[in-house]
Amino acid sequence: MAKQFKPVVLTANDLIEGDSVFLGPRGWVREVAGARVAMTEAEAEGLTARGREAEAGNLVVGCYLVEVSLEGGAPEPLLRRERIRASGVPTITYGPAEVRERAAA
Amino acid sequence: MYRYDEFDHRFVRERVAEFRDQVSRRLTGALTEDEFRPLRLMNGLYLQLHAYMLRVAIPYGTLEARQMRMLAEIAERWDRGYGHFTTRQNIQFNWPKLRDVPEILEALASVEMHAIQTSGNCIRNVTADPLAGVGPDEIEDPRITAEVVRQWSSLHPEFVFLGRKFKIAVTATEEDRAALAVHDIALQIVRSEAGETGYRVLVGGGLGRTPMLARELRAFLPKRDLLPYLEAALRVYNLHGRRDNKFKARIKILVHELGIEEYRRQVEEEFARIEHGHIAVPADELARIGAYFAPPALPERTGTPVEFERMKKLDPAFAAWAAQNTHPHRVPGHVAATISLKPVGGVPGDATAEQMRVMADLAEAHSADELRVTKEQNVILPHVALADLYKVYRGLVAIGLDAPNRGLVTDIVACPGLDYCALATARSIPVAQAISNRFADPARQREIGPLAIKISGCINACGHHHIAHIGILGLDKAGVESYQITLGGESTAPAALGERTGPGFSYDEVPDVVEKIVETYLKLRETPRESFLQTYRRVGMEPFKEVLYAEAH
Repeated sequence: MAKQFKPVVLTANDLIEGDSVFLGPRGWVREVAGARVAMTEAEAEGLTARGREAEAGNLVVGCYLVEVSLEGGAPEPLLRRERIRASGVPTITYGPAEVRERAAA
Repeated sequence: MYRYDEFDHRFVRERVAEFRDQVSRRLTGALTEDEFRPLRLMNGLYLQLHAYMLRVAIPYGTLEARQMRMLAEIAERWDRGYGHFTTRQNIQFNWPKLRDVPEILEALASVEMHAIQTSGNCIRNVTADPLAGVGPDEIEDPRITAEVVRQWSSLHPEFVFLGRKFKIAVTATEEDRAALAVHDIALQIVRSEAGETGYRVLVGGGLGRTPMLARELRAFLPKRDLLPYLEAALRVYNLHGRRDNKFKARIKILVHELGIEEYRRQVEEEFARIEHGHIAVPADELARIGAYFAPPALPERTGTPVEFERMKKLDPAFAAWAAQNTHPHRVPGHVAATISLKPVGGVPGDATAEQMRVMADLAEAHSADELRVTKEQNVILPHVALADLYKVYRGLVAIGLDAPNRGLVTDIVACPGLDYCALATARSIPVAQAISNRFADPARQREIGPLAIKISGCINACGHHHIAHIGILGLDKAGVESYQITLGGESTAPAALGERTGPGFSYDEVPDVVEKIVETYLKLRETPRESFLQTYRRVGMEPFKEVLYAEAH
């Protein structure tokens, strides 16, 4: 039985900054909530093609599709890894802020 | 401490210039990502979950104060104010921008550092006993050999494209503080019965998805034969090396499949064929390198300083720290002091720029300008006079790095895990933090005694969980983080790989699971001096298994 298609968004890493970016309606955005969602295989192929162009244009690297839920009204990745990646930061406080936070506790 | 000669300086600067050009061509599109990826990896630059990550080599874990200060400056100028010390005695910066990396490498070169061969299928940064030059029982400083191997293996034309990465470690004491048994090749400096210094050579150890303990390849290798023998061992591996399946490409698989006897036969055959004179280190070069590792001139001090004793009485926290975090030194009146990068609830191995600077200042003022990074993700000040120890301690209190927990339950090793790493399947750091908070009470930590907990966020085992007394491996089970527990692993001789307790546990359950294991140990131990590992080796897995799975079944 063919796997049921789940909505997807296209993600990549920004070439210079290295951070996670998502293909939005008018270019690449940092927030997954602003990503363009493909609801069909054909739309997903369209996103992938746009990704290849952006890779060739040296804007981004490593494009791939991420399955998302639309239950909250905006796309949110289904997998924990992708949710952490989309958040742009670790799940923990880090660096000098972490030291300050512990010192204050 | 080794200093670059003219050749070294030129080599590293040329490499920086080359990478600057490569980055610039990548940014203009002259190089595609497929072309650029292997080039950036050869310079330690990864693309991780949230950003690029730069891994900087710290040869045999040794740093001078000026180098630590430069790491602090890099953290501040080009990153987010901190760095992460790794289980391979290196440091990683988690947030560099691609266009800044050439500048960072230039800054590193100015203090004789680089990121070459910290990634890729080559001979990686050579690791060594972090207490090199400290212990009274050391045959000679293992860093001399480590430096020779580093120079030989840097851009060695035959070994820069191996089947897989290759890790070498060196020690020179009976006690193994470099986890020799889990290295591709390990060199233990030993003395023969005739009194000659040479190497016991081990081969085929490793962690990852197929953990194996190294086997003895040579009981005694004369020192002059070191490089010809390594060349033979690597050549045999490289010629057999499987490039069709990366999971079978490490030397441990080759040694396992050929058998140690056959692998040894082939190495010895190759060794006999090699022109030794062209490869062995010339005596004057060895003497030149050796001179850099001459012990620092530390004034011998007899008796225990009055001030040290007085402060121990006045400040019990200092007494506890001094008892737990120092190591005997060959020079009377001195110790090596461990700076724990594991404050309760902190991120294992992380240090802020400010903390790095203070550590550098303390090293300069009180430790012959030297620091060491350990595979336990801590930092050591190797040469501290007891009379100065309280000053060092107060300096550490000021930056929150005074945890008196070296080797205790909160001295947890953890890889970056799913919070940073693109390969990870589960989080490691918050698991370490939760366990650390659970066992926050220093008295309870001391009551439990020596206990090594190590956490890896995927099967690649960067957190060394296989060689932990309590190992934790985070996996992904149908979208849910699941943590397998292993017991009884050990990195020092006799080394052992941990044994799995059974089915994994959820993220939230892990602190309870660890607590149950610890409580079971406390009930089972025959005396307070019987360590967790000793108890485990005496009673085996069953009692722990019963407690962990009793309610579920």
